[in-house]
Amino acid sequence: MGATLSNLTENPNGAGAAAGPGLGDIPESCVACVFMNLTPPEICNLARLNRAFRGAASSDSVWEAKLPPNYQHLLSLLSPLERYEGLSKKAIFAVLSRSVPFDDEGNKVVWLDRVTGGVCMAVSAKAMVITGIDDRRYWSWVPTEESRFHVIAFLQQIWWFEVEGVVRFPFPAGVYTLLFRLHLGKFSRRLGRRVSNFEQTHGWEKKPVTFELSTSDGQQASCDYCLDDPDSDDGNTNHKRGCWIDYKVGEFVVSNSEPMTDVRFSMKQIDCTHSKGGLCVDAVYIIPRDLRKRR
Amino acid sequence: MSTKKITLLSSDREQFIVDEAVAIQSQTIKNLIEDTVPDEDGIPLPVVHSRILAKVTEYLTKHANYKPHNDAAKEELKNWDVKFLGKLDNNTLFDLILAANYLDIKGLLDLTCQAVADLMKGMSVEEVRKLFNIENDFTPEEEEAVRKENQWAFD
Repeated sequence: MGATLSNLTENPNGAGAAAGPGLGDIPESCVACVFMNLTPPEICNLARLNRAFRGAASSDSVWEAKLPPNYQHLLSLLSPLERYEGLSKKAIFAVLSRSVPFDDEGNKVVWLDRVTGGVCMAVSAKAMVITGIDDRRYWSWVPTEESRFHVIAFLQQIWWFEVEGVVRFPFPAGVYTLLFRLHLGKFSRRLGRRVSNFEQTHGWEKKPVTFELSTSDGQQASCDYCLDDPDSDDGNTNHKRGCWIDYKVGEFVVSNSEPMTDVRFSMKQIDCTHSKGGLCVDAVYIIPRDLRKRR
Repeated sequence: MSTKKITLLSSDREQFIVDEAVAIQSQTIKNLIEDTVPDEDGIPLPVVHSRILAKVTEYLTKHANYKPHNDAAKEELKNWDVKFLGKLDNNTLFDLILAANYLDIKGLLDLTCQAVADLMKGMSVEEVRKLFNIENDFTPEEEEAVRKENQWAFD
């Protein structure tokens, strides 16, 4: 490869023939064809090469291929919709790659992954049904910058731990992974440093929590996880404490974006023989399976 | 399959004699055969040099004679494509893109554009410009404007 690449610079008049074309001489339609094989960040970067590349980097044919097939439906979630009429396909991709809320409160959002164009979703704890959430002895809402929703549900202690939710959405065809994002222990910032506190953390080592998902077309998955490590309870060696962990519940397959898929999810530990507490619940994430592998 | 022969004439007047089935994979050549009275020396392709037309006909011959009917055959053809690309220097690669575009050969255009995309992956703009001798035809103000309009992809 090194030899072939250097041919171009060392030997511009190769083998007595007239100087061949460079990459800069390729017409815009061919650059667009090159861009079909590159990711959106790569395309946006190479737009700076020259005018032909900039032109191709704005072309609708390139970006239509990067958008999910039902992007019009995703776009219709935005309001007021008129503001987005007449946008180029590239501008639509840019808009959809930011968080787009699809409920009135902004507690359920979707966005396109900038590299793959895959549809990703996050559902805040605010949009879930949590047993005892209104009783301040059990649960409280804590504002934090560590959540994309800027708030998490913190459990002091409870016997009946049950959190569930549902989303209905026109997912493009594909395989999706559903995850709960949880944090064992309470965290705060002191003098610019992040510190975790495990005073209220208890009970999670005794029995596993059951995570479940089900879809409107009958797919089901479930998983049991022990949220704490029974063998070590200090924050230095216990990797289950003091950090955000994505607990994978399972996968589901969408074969068509119509009819819309309902996805139900839950986590439960309703063994009333022991109390548990000291847990932060941020959100549920639903992301394309391939994306999770890549991370 | 027809065994009728077609003569193609490169820009430097070299003749390439191929089966019609090979030639008409190019939509442009197919149209030329249908719509024009051929030159007595062959069908003139005034923008394709013999050095490139040799590569184009090598590609077309392989792909016309090789219709993959199962996974193993598809794999074999893919390996052939990889070897074919591996023998090209960058100048030839760019010439082939131009030829595939002019001759309207989708498979060859996709293959060569994929090869260029693979070369550029992970490179900075400055590296790509240097490596491929691309002239920056923007003013500094325009380049800054392009940078701004694409910033969203990196935030």
